[in-house]
Amino acid sequence: MELTEFFRYGFLQRALIAGSFIAILCSTLGVFLVLRRFSLIGDGLAHATFGSVALALLLRMSPLYVSIPIVMLCSLGILKLTERARIYGDAAIGVVSSLGIAGGVMLSSMAGGFNIDLFSYLFGSILSISEAEVYISIGLSIFVLLLIIFYYNELLSITLDEDSAKASGIKTESINTMFVLLTAVTVVLSMKVVGIMLISALLIFPAVTALQIARSFKAVMLTASLSAMASVVSGIVLSFSLDLPTGATIVLINFVFFLTGLTYRRIVKA
Amino acid sequence: MPIDVLTVEDLSFRYNSSDVLSGISFSIKKGDYIGLVGPNGSGKTTLVKVILGLLKPYIGRITLFGDDIAAFSRWDKIGYLPQHIAAMNPRFPATVGEVVAMGLLSKKQFPKHMNRSDLAEVDRILDLLDMKKLKNTPVGELSGGQQQRVLVARAIVNNPEFLIVDEPTDALDPEMRDRFFDIMQTLNKEKKVAIVIVTHDTGNIGRYTSKLLYVDKKIVFYGSFEDFCTSREITQFFGEFAQHVICHRHNQNPNCPPGDHGTD
Amino acid sequence: MTITILTFLFFPACGKNENITVKEKKIKVVTTIFPLYDFARQIGRERIEVNLLLPPGVEAHAFEPRPADIKRIQDADIFLFTNKFMEPWVAGLLKGIDTRSLTVIDTSQGIILLQRSDNHGDEEHAHTHESATADPHIWLDLSNAMKMVDTIASQLIAKDPQGKEFYLKNADEYKKRLEELDKKYKNTLAHCKNRVIVHAGHFAFGYLAKRYGITYMSAYKGFSPDAEPTPKRLVEITKIVRRYGVKYIYYEELVTPKMANVIAKETGCGLLMLHGAHNVTREEMESGVTFVSLMEKNLENLKAGLQCL
Repeated sequence: MELTEFFRYGFLQRALIAGSFIAILCSTLGVFLVLRRFSLIGDGLAHATFGSVALALLLRMSPLYVSIPIVMLCSLGILKLTERARIYGDAAIGVVSSLGIAGGVMLSSMAGGFNIDLFSYLFGSILSISEAEVYISIGLSIFVLLLIIFYYNELLSITLDEDSAKASGIKTESINTMFVLLTAVTVVLSMKVVGIMLISALLIFPAVTALQIARSFKAVMLTASLSAMASVVSGIVLSFSLDLPTGATIVLINFVFFLTGLTYRRIVKA
Repeated sequence: MPIDVLTVEDLSFRYNSSDVLSGISFSIKKGDYIGLVGPNGSGKTTLVKVILGLLKPYIGRITLFGDDIAAFSRWDKIGYLPQHIAAMNPRFPATVGEVVAMGLLSKKQFPKHMNRSDLAEVDRILDLLDMKKLKNTPVGELSGGQQQRVLVARAIVNNPEFLIVDEPTDALDPEMRDRFFDIMQTLNKEKKVAIVIVTHDTGNIGRYTSKLLYVDKKIVFYGSFEDFCTSREITQFFGEFAQHVICHRHNQNPNCPPGDHGTD
Repeated sequence: MTITILTFLFFPACGKNENITVKEKKIKVVTTIFPLYDFARQIGRERIEVNLLLPPGVEAHAFEPRPADIKRIQDADIFLFTNKFMEPWVAGLLKGIDTRSLTVIDTSQGIILLQRSDNHGDEEHAHTHESATADPHIWLDLSNAMKMVDTIASQLIAKDPQGKEFYLKNADEYKKRLEELDKKYKNTLAHCKNRVIVHAGHFAFGYLAKRYGITYMSAYKGFSPDAEPTPKRLVEITKIVRRYGVKYIYYEELVTPKMANVIAKETGCGLLMLHGAHNVTREEMESGVTFVSLMEKNLENLKAGLQCL
């Protein structure tokens, strides 16, 4: 089947558009997250979302309206844990993540089961994106990316050395809080659109690939975005022609890009 | 009357229910060049962090350029050269130019984007420190000495009036150390920048700085190096031999007789 | 003499007590999925105590038993499961528990398991894989359901011989209802404008489709809703819908109908549910659904969707 025919299908168009925006968004956030050792925050917040949706269903409230604030609180919790409890980001994420899952399971039990399968509710798939979700993806991406652009130098300064940033008058606490809340909203909404497997991968892989080959921070940001978008587009096309599941194909392509970057670096160094 | 660069009045700081600093009072004027010394765990770095607004809460009063620290906003007047930064390792992907540009942020308004004159400033400082060729090199690929020069560049690119340097010479070989102090000397003598250098190397620092501030939870001594060597309080605090060793480091001869040799 | 009279007075009382304790001692039955639960309670009624392992709303193929579940199985008299492909965890479970007073029953005894039958993917690949797995959804073929009822009834009788007549009578009544339902299906589905069921859920209705000679297409490769459908598959389904003038897409129970929405949007079709009866929601449970009521509703939806007379 020709590529031209391929593009006529609405679900593939939506996958390409929403997928690309989310790819750029997640890869950009991902660079900062990876450098600050918060790489697994995508997974962690996904588990927190699971718990919050269980709570919402137990209280017979709309899951999205309950989970967004709760997950934002959880992300703040992760931040505070790293500051107060003297543990690194990964452990803090682990704490919130386990709590989220356990909470969800406990609430599920208490409720005696729900009317929908929790997992299917939460976790979207890139092939089943609705029009509304395309608009949400575009809107969310533009909003968060604009903020990152406006605060780019502050974020860079904080990531490089938080003390110096603070000593230069930057409001590090406010910016860290803003950043972590943006991450929470991104994870919850993007997860519903393309699923947790893709979000986790897009938060981590493009960043680590870029770190292999880019030689300035700006180059890292650009490389990560390009790599993410390329993986989504090629993943959709490839999964179509080889009859493979799309989400998993995108993740594997990300891995291939990473290996390529790693090899390139080895060769260049030698 | 010129405003003091820094005044500290009766500063106390507690951490985990133990006193790290207690009753600290001193002031720094324009053009002062001070060595902040003391044994490990004496609170030197804590003092520096409190002054920079990094640690709260504290008891006492601190003013910077006449303003109480809580109301102070001209952080561009202050340069900070930390001991090392965790991110400065082979993994961190920023170039020398990008890191030095961070030093300009204290003067900028939101959104803090670099314009052409900012980039020119970065070039100027890199040139001054003989690093122009390294501008687009990732900092992770530099040697220890080069990385330190990057941090120096970052600290002074905004032409600060007050520079705080934390343990600068640990990782440097003697040649690098000399170069570093040359730069400090230039800043202090020509630009009248007030400089505080935190170090545990009491003897050596006396060669460069004009005053010594010896802190061990409290202020043990604040004055010139000569006074340090003749002070009775110091003799009592350290013991005669220790005072002698510190003051006469230029002569490593163990048989060097006690007494005042002068400082040569 | 007095002693003899007194003993006679006591004996009837003793006899009565025995009867009461026998009746109160219900047979404990634990089942995995909803149809087994329903069959058991229809046959055993008040003589047994049936437990459904799946909590309401939980997706059956993803279920893993927790410690409390294992204990419940251990404490039961009879444990009913569907077949080794529906509950692959049973094999491992049985190794760990004491089965001396527990009867474990594979209710697919005497039933032939089918492979996949909708020409999905490469046939060659299908054969190498699918010999290892078969379609586990046997209960959706009503003739299989009847066989399962017999199996369950005979086990209940074996455990509780005194209830034999009771169980047989109930089983026969229930089988009659299933037979009537089966006839209704045959008659209704014989005259439909459309003979293709397009299902945006996992491949569950192979047995049902085979029985009534209808073509069945599922968007998913596997027998469970885990995997993602591939873009090619979705395009194929869209083409089939257009070619055969299909008017309705069927979505499955419990899972959010995202995939169905995608296909419906692409083709302009309407949506109807086809309930696989694996498990029910809390609301459904509270409102008293039964396997038969679910299948009757399915027939209604099939009639509407396939445009049968």
